Amino acid sequence: MSVTLNNIVMDYSGNLALDDVSVTFGFNEVHGLIGENGAGKSTLINVLSGTVSPTSGDIYINDSLVKLGTPCDALLHGIAQVSQEGSLVPQLSGAENIMLGAEPKYLGSIIRRKDLLYRAERLLNKWFPEASISLDRSVETLGVADQKVIEIVRALRGNIKILILDEPTAALQSREKEQLWKIISSLPQKGVGVVLISHFLSEIKLLSNKVTVLRDGKFIDTLQVENTTEGNLIDLMLRRTGATKGSGEVKNRSFVGGKTVLSVKNWKAGQVSVPQFEVMAGEIVGLIGLTGAGHFGFVRSLYSKEGLISGTVEVEGKPVAGNVRAMQRSGVAFVPDHRMENSLMPDGSVTENLSLVHPDFAARSGILNFGVEKAEVVRIIDLLNIKTSSRGQLLRNLSGGNKQKVSLGKWLYGAENKYCVMIFIEPTEGVDIGAKQEIYRKIRALAKQGMGIIIASSDLLEIEHIAQRVVPFVNGFPSKEIFAEDFSEKRFISALSGENA
Amino acid sequence: MSRKVQEMDIKKSKNIQFNMEWVQKYSTLIVLVLMFIGFSVSVDRFMTIVNLTNILQQISILTIVGCGLTFGFAAKEIDLSVGYIVGLTGILVPMLLVNGVDLWFAITIGMGAGLVVGITNGLLVTKIGIPSLIATLATGSILFGINFMLTGGRAIYGGLPDSYLFLGQGRLLGVPILAFFMIAAVALAWFVMERTVFGRYIYAVGGNEKAAELSGVRIVFYRTAALTIVALFAAVAGALLAARLGSGQPNVGERYLLDGLATVFIGMTMFRPGTATVLGTFCGALFIGILDNGLNLIGMDSYIQNIVKGIVILVAVAIVSRTTKLKLL
Repeated sequence: MSVTLNNIVMDYSGNLALDDVSVTFGFNEVHGLIGENGAGKSTLINVLSGTVSPTSGDIYINDSLVKLGTPCDALLHGIAQVSQEGSLVPQLSGAENIMLGAEPKYLGSIIRRKDLLYRAERLLNKWFPEASISLDRSVETLGVADQKVIEIVRALRGNIKILILDEPTAALQSREKEQLWKIISSLPQKGVGVVLISHFLSEIKLLSNKVTVLRDGKFIDTLQVENTTEGNLIDLMLRRTGATKGSGEVKNRSFVGGKTVLSVKNWKAGQVSVPQFEVMAGEIVGLIGLTGAGHFGFVRSLYSKEGLISGTVEVEGKPVAGNVRAMQRSGVAFVPDHRMENSLMPDGSVTENLSLVHPDFAARSGILNFGVEKAEVVRIIDLLNIKTSSRGQLLRNLSGGNKQKVSLGKWLYGAENKYCVMIFIEPTEGVDIGAKQEIYRKIRALAKQGMGIIIASSDLLEIEHIAQRVVPFVNGFPSKEIFAEDFSEKRFISALSGENA
Repeated sequence: MSRKVQEMDIKKSKNIQFNMEWVQKYSTLIVLVLMFIGFSVSVDRFMTIVNLTNILQQISILTIVGCGLTFGFAAKEIDLSVGYIVGLTGILVPMLLVNGVDLWFAITIGMGAGLVVGITNGLLVTKIGIPSLIATLATGSILFGINFMLTGGRAIYGGLPDSYLFLGQGRLLGVPILAFFMIAAVALAWFVMERTVFGRYIYAVGGNEKAAELSGVRIVFYRTAALTIVALFAAVAGALLAARLGSGQPNVGERYLLDGLATVFIGMTMFRPGTATVLGTFCGALFIGILDNGLNLIGMDSYIQNIVKGIVILVAVAIVSRTTKLKLL
């Protein structure tokens, strides 16, 4: 009694989100599915729930081939999904939400309210007799855990054999979590298998019987949970055995000297808490962590003051108050992740994008001088080797690597000696290998010119390759830093599991 | 050998791509020219100097409104109160003039009123966070009420100074004075949008607000400024409209909302598809002007003209939405 995905490939125009993944989910188990962001978990469950059709590969239910073209197909085959964000109608009652789309009616049009409440309560009791939730109240007045239960009951309304739960406890307090854990672990005994996605490895260990690890769209392993440790799972999620590098060059990369260009003290923002953090001129500091560990959140809050609770930041010894513009004026540049949302104008030209930060470089009293602008744009295009058919080419027509170069280049356009610190998040996300090397070379050159560089990245290999000092983040806190002579994947991974060496 | 073939293939596909881009950029312009030729051939009175200057006179005020709206659209803000701002200054200025106020002072007051409305619209959107579509719908309704309150629903006429009427009705060397205002407005708007840092920032805010913010652009200022400029251009248009009509009427501004939006939408189909540009808007105004005029000369009923215009807007927006996601809420 199981559903099997066989050799699933999902090709998003050359980008393999799933690369030949095969996995079997039983109807009598909780099956954990883990991997870093971009590992392919969401794509895999979207294939399983019929939301997307794979490029190739087969799906078998109890050894018979099925086609799950739409979520409706999947439901008919007994596969239901509860998404992370929640899909309840907040104004409707719990009962109305549970019976949504299947309300009992008089004459096919008037809802039988009493019958609806009765049926909803019967469903709730069938699955979770111990739960006490008043189903006649609108769900927005209920707690987050109760809302999740209602969603699960609704998902189980048909003849469901596999329930996909995507980060079900992400928004819950710890007491509520335990309540939901009980409910989840009771499902296999009732003949419903669970596919559980969670960033909390402790949760995966506690609830699942088996766990499957994905990395970069590839199937890594399926393990019996009792035979593994959290450290082992992190290792499987992160390890990249493919590329090794000569260790000789690393040893003498350690950084000496340089004045402090960025100094952060007692920083508290959202879940992140950093007592002290410093960057020296000419230094490349890498920030690493598991998803949600706070390494991205820290630098983001540093720049935009998003969610800032307390803390001070000094640039070249001068305190900086205020957000983006103040940071910028005092000499901090920021190349964010998700460049198309955070950094670039897809319908703007290469010129307009490159000149976005300092258009006034090519202007006198606010009026643009196209000659000066052209010369500077050409300088940046040559400097970063940006491949574009013309300066007027629309940005969205560029390849990923060249887009990323523009995202970096706009901080170099007209910015001679303006910046002493440059912050990157995922500097090579979605960038081909050639452009990657060029970006690394440029970052090193900037450091050599005396800039302090911060790189927050989920790519350990990248950090190992370019950083001179690494600060690992665990649960929102920076742990003991690692210096270049101690760099190794093993060292990084053990640091991320919270084991201080 | 095979490499050569491949290279040729690439060249060919590049050519095709280039042509597609070209067609996308200029198809509306071609339709405009074809329409012009079509009317010239089929309607006797169309291709006469009298009629052509007539068209210029007819589109001048519309173009000025459209130029303002272009700033709004470039920053991804819409202004639905624009017609009532035209109405407001179209009442305020003649009212002041009838009461003996000096011409330039009256016009200054009119511009001041536009400025106040524009800044109000801008702050409602940026500081309070109401989407511009809704905020300006509401301020438009308020202005509509004020316009009728000011006039009691009656037109203001008689006693307007000749110097004022000359602005709306006079000609210089056979060219309507209004056309000079239009050309000045187009030139100014074009210059600011295409040749200044200010214009770059307006486009940046509309192109990707988040990216602009993280690049240090003061997005609140530029969004507010965009909506203020919309109102200022509308205020100029209102003052000129009353001069052209020789009277201040509370309800003549309304048609400039729909027609003004139409000019921008049509303009967004050309030059830089999906983006509002001043020259695009100008072509959009020509499009509407020639269409209106031609259909009039054929003798088509005005309500059928409305239907035709509605269809033109739909087609334009459909083309724009195909290339980019039109997001205004």
